[in-house]
Amino acid sequence: MSTEGQPFPFPSIYSFPPFFTRQPNSQTWTSQLSLWSSLILGYCRYNRIWRIDLNTAIEWDLFSNKEINRSLKLDTCREILDSMVKKGNAEWVSGSGRDAADKNLSAIIFWRRPEEWANMIADWIDSTGQRNAILTFYEISDGDLSFSQDFRGIDATILRKALDILVRRGQAQIMRSADGEVAGVKFFGVQ
Amino acid sequence: MSMRRGVGLAAFDNRQRAAQHYSDLGTSILSTHISELSEQLRTFQAALTKFAESHSNEIRSDPVFRSEFVKMCAAIGVDPLASSAANKKSGSFWAELLGNDVNDFFFELAVRIIELCRRTRDENGGLMLVDDVRAYINSLSPNRPPVSHEDIVRAVNSLAPLGHGFEIVKLASKEFIRSVPQEMSKDQAVAIEATQAMGYISIPILRDNLGWETARSITVLDDLVAAGLVWVDDQAKPKEYWTPSWIKQV
Repeated sequence: MSTEGQPFPFPSIYSFPPFFTRQPNSQTWTSQLSLWSSLILGYCRYNRIWRIDLNTAIEWDLFSNKEINRSLKLDTCREILDSMVKKGNAEWVSGSGRDAADKNLSAIIFWRRPEEWANMIADWIDSTGQRNAILTFYEISDGDLSFSQDFRGIDATILRKALDILVRRGQAQIMRSADGEVAGVKFFGVQ
Repeated sequence: MSMRRGVGLAAFDNRQRAAQHYSDLGTSILSTHISELSEQLRTFQAALTKFAESHSNEIRSDPVFRSEFVKMCAAIGVDPLASSAANKKSGSFWAELLGNDVNDFFFELAVRIIELCRRTRDENGGLMLVDDVRAYINSLSPNRPPVSHEDIVRAVNSLAPLGHGFEIVKLASKEFIRSVPQEMSKDQAVAIEATQAMGYISIPILRDNLGWETARSITVLDDLVAAGLVWVDDQAKPKEYWTPSWIKQV
């Protein structure tokens, strides 16, 4: 990417101090939610971030503008992510099994929908002549052939979702080893 | 010493005749004037038509030229947008002169303004700076000739016959498009004007600059929040109330 190395260009709303306060007016809040949602998606896409864990992400410049000394509260953050989950732009990841308070702190961000990833992977399989090949998940996300692909380094959960879509379409099959572990995926041509 | 008073019966005839003569003379002067004026008007209309025809491209594409032309028309009492369908079969003055292009230009612009105002209504409570609307519309279609401030104002005013809803309001010597037909109280308008100085207002700012007591300020600020016209910044001490028209300027 030509933009590599440069910091994310924040939109002007990011410098608007009240943007970091949850607006009491419900209509304004609706608009604020959608502004935050597109900012988060744009930020994650730009920096190729697949997951947001609010335990640490709350400190990111995304949620905290040092220049104007404003930052988003954790509860507001969570509410924003929750609205993204409802719109299908994110998904909560159940915490690492600790307690209920940990819930809804970590989310996968779909800066592309799983369907889009599925299409992209299917196109890549076609264009690189890998039909009928069996690939490991690692080869898809980090193999030599996927080096310049947008799904480079894709989060395993998102990859699995995209592959499940291809399986449902009859374009792929998940291969398991003898002990039932997922070993890889076999692709068929587009039918 | 006797004065000729013309009291005989013939005097009536004389007076009537004189009045008749005056009236005839008046009529003839008037009709000369009318024919001269209508001749001038015809000449003028022909000239205006010729001008508009030969400059139709500039009128369409150059906002400065268009604005000057519209101003010139306004100065001589021709409203280019007013439909003359009532007294003529054909459409408006613009439509006659230039085909429907220029007329359509303003109506199309009005539609784009309505779309923009509706889409951003949640964000700004239905109050948008004319200049922001202009900048936004021009940024959307960089290949089109830019529209001017006057074009926007004119397009919004052309919506007036459709009833309440869209109007230009002037606050703190800036022009806004108001797209929510809700009354703004005097206090609210004054408070919004005050936001234009620094982008925000607060209870102390209203007290120091307008002499409002806290209760009055709270009422006005709460109303502005309820109308979606300001955004609250809780992290400022004391709380600040920001105008969304400031978003691009911070």
